[in-house]
Amino acid sequence: MSDTPSERSEPREAGLDEIRTALDDLRGEIDRRFRPGEGGSEDLARDWIELFDELRARAGRFGMAEHSGEVDEFGMDAEAVRRARPLLDFLQDRYWRADVGGLGNLPPTGPCLLVANRSGLLPYDGLLIAHAVARWRGDAVRPRFLVADWLMTLPFVQPALARLGGVRACRENAQRLLADGGWVIAFPEGQKGAAKVFRERYRLQRFGRGGVVRVALETGAPLVPVGVVGAEEAHPILFKVGTLARAVGLPFLPVTPTFPWLGPLGAVPLPSKWVIRFGEPLAIDRLAPDDARDELLVSRLTEELRGEIQRLLEEGLHARPGVWG
Amino acid sequence: MRGSIAITGLRTFLGGRLLQRIAERQPERALVAIDLRRPHRLPTPSRFQRVDLTDPTADGRLAEIFERERVEAVVHTAFRSDPDPDLEYDHELETIGTLHLVNACAAAKVKRLVLASSTMTYGPRPDNPNFLSEDHPLRGHPDAHNVENRREAEAVLADWASRHPDTRVTVLRTCWIMGPSYSDHVVRYLGRPVVPTLLGYDPLLQFVHEDDALRVFEKAALEEHPGVYNVVGRGVLPLSMLLRLAGKRSLPLPAPLLYRLRYYPSQGQTGDPPDGFYDYLRYLWVADGARGWAAFGPPVYSTREAWMAFVSARRMRRYR
Repeated sequence: MSDTPSERSEPREAGLDEIRTALDDLRGEIDRRFRPGEGGSEDLARDWIELFDELRARAGRFGMAEHSGEVDEFGMDAEAVRRARPLLDFLQDRYWRADVGGLGNLPPTGPCLLVANRSGLLPYDGLLIAHAVARWRGDAVRPRFLVADWLMTLPFVQPALARLGGVRACRENAQRLLADGGWVIAFPEGQKGAAKVFRERYRLQRFGRGGVVRVALETGAPLVPVGVVGAEEAHPILFKVGTLARAVGLPFLPVTPTFPWLGPLGAVPLPSKWVIRFGEPLAIDRLAPDDARDELLVSRLTEELRGEIQRLLEEGLHARPGVWG
Repeated sequence: MRGSIAITGLRTFLGGRLLQRIAERQPERALVAIDLRRPHRLPTPSRFQRVDLTDPTADGRLAEIFERERVEAVVHTAFRSDPDPDLEYDHELETIGTLHLVNACAAAKVKRLVLASSTMTYGPRPDNPNFLSEDHPLRGHPDAHNVENRREAEAVLADWASRHPDTRVTVLRTCWIMGPSYSDHVVRYLGRPVVPTLLGYDPLLQFVHEDDALRVFEKAALEEHPGVYNVVGRGVLPLSMLLRLAGKRSLPLPAPLLYRLRYYPSQGQTGDPPDGFYDYLRYLWVADGARGWAAFGPPVYSTREAWMAFVSARRMRRYR
C-alpha cells in the first residue's frame, strides 16, 4: 500500500517500456549510421530522427487516445484547448476578422481582472478575448472567462465550456483564480447583457452590485475595461419568448434571424466584423483591500468602469467600417 | 495515564480500519470498540462493547461504558456506507444515534469527539462555487436520506457543542473514498461493467485515498484538532475522464430515463445507487481541502492517484 500508485505493474505498461527502449535503441543506431556531416544523408537522418521521436511520443500516449487525462482545478483541459486553437484562430482571423487593439494596456505580470460587455447567447466573446490574450502572451497566460449560471446548468454546454476555460461566475471562483495569480474575464452585466434585444445593442446594462470592483480591490488585481463590438450582431436577438422558455427550463428563449428557424444550424453565429479594445487599467493600485467595504467608493468605481467600457464601445463602433466590415 | 479511545461503527470501513491502525501504531493505547454486532476480527488490545445506538437507553449505557473505560476521545463513524431501504432505521441509527452518543459524551465528560461526516452534505447544486469551503451552508439533497441524516447529525452535534464548550469537537467531511480495499455504493456504481451516466453532464469529481482519510481520522482521534475540515484529495477529474482512465465503457442516458432506471430490476435494493445519487453526477459539489491539509498535513494521493489505485487494484483496465 505504501508505494506510489503508479501503473508500472501493469503488463501493458511493461510492454510500452519495451517499445520505448527498442525505439530508443533504433534511434541510436540511426544516429550512428547517418552521422551529421556525412554528405547528403544529413537531411535524411534528421527526418528519420524526427519520425522516431514522434513514434516514441505516440507510444508514450498509447491507449490514452488524444486525451491528456488531466484537467486543472476548474476543469480546463489543456488538450481540449490545444485542439480548439485552430478553430479559435479561424474565428478570430477569418470569420469575425477581429480587430484587436490596446493589448499594450495589459499588465505585464501578475493577476488581472478584465471586465467586458456581454453580448450574444453563447459566450463567444469570452472565448475570443481569452484567445486574443493567450495569443498575444504566447500562451503564458490563459484568462478564464466567467459564465453566467443559466449557461453553466445547460447540458452539453456546461462540460464543453468548462473544458475550454469557462468558470461559473461567482465571487468565490473569481477570488480563487485571481489569488492564484490567474487572469479572469468578467461580464458584470450577466444575463441582462446576453438577453438584450437587438435594438438595445451596445447599451450597457446595470453592472450587478459592484462585485467586480470589490473582488479586484480585495485581491489587488488590476481592473482592465474591455469593449467588444460585433458579438451583438453575431446573434442578434429580435425578440424573446417567455412562456415556452420557462417550459424548457431556460430564463429566456431568443428568436434571432436564424434561430429557431434553422434548427441547430441557427445556433451558428453570423460573420459580423468584430472589434476588441482593451482600455487602460483603472487607477485602483493605491487602494487597499479594506476599501472594498466602502460602498460609495465601490459604486463610484463601478460607474467609472462602466463609462470606460461604454467609451471603448463607441470607439470600436467608429473604428468599424460596417457591421459586416 | 492517558485515557482510552472509543470507536463506534466497527463494521464501517473507517471505524474498523481506524481501530486496526491505532492498535498497530499505538499498542499501549486502550481501545473500546462499539457496535451492534461483534466484528469477525478485532485487534487484540481493544475491548468490544455491544451497544445498539437505536435503543432509547443507549445514551445511559454509553455513558457508563465511557466512564468505566475512562474514554478520552470518541470517534463516531456509525453511518451506513450503503443506505438501507428501511429509511426509518437509518434515521434512528444515524441521527438519533448521534444524539444518544453526544449525550453520553456530555455525561462522561469525554474530552474529544470526532464525527465522520461527508462532503455530500453540501449538496450538488448548479450554483455551488467550484470549491466549497467548510463555512459554506450544508444544503444536502432532499431525496438522499443518507445525506440528510448526516446533515441532521451534524446539526445535532453543532447544537450540542455550543452548549458543551469543554469537549473539543472535530467534524471530518470526507469526499468519496477510493482505494484498493474501500467499497460502498459509489465504488460499486463505478465498478460496473457499463457505467450509466447523465447525457450532457460531465461533473468534476474528487476523491480521497483510503490511507489519506484514515491518517486524518487517526490524527483527529489522538490529537486536538477542533473544528470542521474537508478531507479531500488534491485535484479534480471529470467523470468521463475517470472512466476513460479506467478503460470503462459508459452509457450516457437522458436524465429522466436514468433517474427511473433500476439496474437490477429483480433485486430492487441491492445494486441501485440510493435516491438522489445521480444528482451528484450532475452538478458540482467539490470541496476545498486547504484547511484540512494545513491541519493534518497534505494528502499523499491526488484524486487521480486515488482513482488509479482503485482501478489497478480492481484490475479493471482493459487492453486496447
